[in-house]
Amino acid sequence: MGERDGIPISIDELNKLKAIAERARRNVIKMQFYDHSIHVGSSLSSIEILTTLIFRYIRDGQEKINKDWLILSKGHAAPALYAVLHEKGLIKEEELWKIQAIDGLLQGHPEVYIPGVDMSTGSLGQGLSFGIGVATGIKMAKGSGRVFVIMGDGEQDEGEVWEAATHAVARNLDNLIAFIEVNGYQLDARTSEVKPKDFLPDVYKAIGWRTFSCDGHDILSIINAVEEALKARKPAVIFAKTLRGKGFTPIENTKIQRANPDVARQFLLNT
Amino acid sequence: MLQGSFYSIREAFGRTLVKLGEEDKDIVVITADVGDSTRASYFREKFPDRYFNVGISEQDMVNFAAGLAAVGKKPVVADFAMFTMRAWEQIRNTTGRMNLNVKFTVTHAGYSDSGDGSSHQALEDIALMRTIPNFKVVVPADAAEVERSLPVIIKEQGPIYYRMGREYSPSITTGMDYKFEIGKAYVLKDGDDLAIMGAGVVLWDALKAAEELEKMGISTAVINVPTIKPIDENTIEYYARKTGRIVTVEEHTIYGGVGSAIAEVVVQKYPVPMRFIGSITFGRSARSQRELLDYYGINAENIIKKALELMK
Repeated sequence: MGERDGIPISIDELNKLKAIAERARRNVIKMQFYDHSIHVGSSLSSIEILTTLIFRYIRDGQEKINKDWLILSKGHAAPALYAVLHEKGLIKEEELWKIQAIDGLLQGHPEVYIPGVDMSTGSLGQGLSFGIGVATGIKMAKGSGRVFVIMGDGEQDEGEVWEAATHAVARNLDNLIAFIEVNGYQLDARTSEVKPKDFLPDVYKAIGWRTFSCDGHDILSIINAVEEALKARKPAVIFAKTLRGKGFTPIENTKIQRANPDVARQFLLNT
Repeated sequence: MLQGSFYSIREAFGRTLVKLGEEDKDIVVITADVGDSTRASYFREKFPDRYFNVGISEQDMVNFAAGLAAVGKKPVVADFAMFTMRAWEQIRNTTGRMNLNVKFTVTHAGYSDSGDGSSHQALEDIALMRTIPNFKVVVPADAAEVERSLPVIIKEQGPIYYRMGREYSPSITTGMDYKFEIGKAYVLKDGDDLAIMGAGVVLWDALKAAEELEKMGISTAVINVPTIKPIDENTIEYYARKTGRIVTVEEHTIYGGVGSAIAEVVVQKYPVPMRFIGSITFGRSARSQRELLDYYGINAENIIKKALELMK
């Protein structure tokens, strides 16, 4: 167990996490000044989940089997991960502004040579299987590490996710917690227009997962869901309702990934 | 000349894997429901706690193995060559990019799954796997070379694609005395006028062809190139210079496979005329692997034909 599992969050800590998330959000919006092709909308959908996991649950460490693992399977939300890792002190501010630059550290999708990144991702659908391997290896070695995997709702189209979903149950992995962000959009359109997604919680439950839900932008709601998931004694999945582009009104809750830098600049000046 | 089924390639693989499992407790074996067919099941019988059948799900198998490697296990994926290709992108994007210590030991490559036909015959896998950065690619010649090379493969750090057939394993390296090293080619027979180079069970045909060519007065070298990547540039260049002519032979497409890898060295180091023998089309069903090799001209007869073309 993590040393802070189950301990109720204080108002001070909650305010601290909110402030971290807000700074990370503004930094993601600012990153598009420097590289206009980053996935802003998808990143802003993940800010509070990443903040809560990295600042409250993830235990760092050199020992692979006794640390917690964070796998951003929806790797296009890399800017959010980098912005939160910067708050943690693992990535320097100047690197944020060099995102995707040829001489920069931060790649368009996560790579393991970036501090705080546990898996190289980017191609959707691959994180959960890897997480099952890590979680299984930890259990074989009787380690205390836990594995958190963050996926998107669009990502659930991938066949490998289904291969992995039944596999996690077969291995009875109680040290594996998956998040599925439900922001209702994938690259081309609303998820509902591409392939139905509403059945997902029922299907995960039917397969044998413990399923939970939360408001993916409400830190208290996320914490409550994680606390329940940690006690599940089974693979647990948290369906987190989120908004693509959350907090950046020019693109919030649309399929648009990014705004014109002038619009972004004006937005930051006004908020 | 042909050995009994005990010396089948997959038998040698399954038995050697068990021996390695006894020596190293970190070795874990992962399969996608083909444990019996690959003979990885021998490992399951001995070490059930270190054996994982993920079901018929190759993409999951590949990244599950990668996750195990990330926490220090030494995963050996045992699967059919054909269906491992299905997860090429997982192999590339997770194992390759993260340079993880996963061994892909695949059976049923080439025409070895003769009866099942073109859907099960992997003739493109060497080309696919050798393009992935960080990957090494090894193709043992026969069951004896499996016994000799698998321990070296498993001990080597980093990702390796290790390609085997099924039963058919005519004796090529049995009784030879050499230490297997990754990246090294081996001279099966020396010669001055022509060199036949290749990998896998088809080297038996290369040796038969060399025997016939000798009778015609053509001094023929036969070179076993089990490591396709990194390839033994020195030996290839040496024989290009020495013989001035090369025929390559492989149980794989000639586009991007063993012959191509050899040609990449030859054109840069010492260009000489070459001929390529291998597949150029999808396969079909047959009662044996041998029938298919003959049907598609991957045999001694065709090697001799190409060799004589080069001697003109």
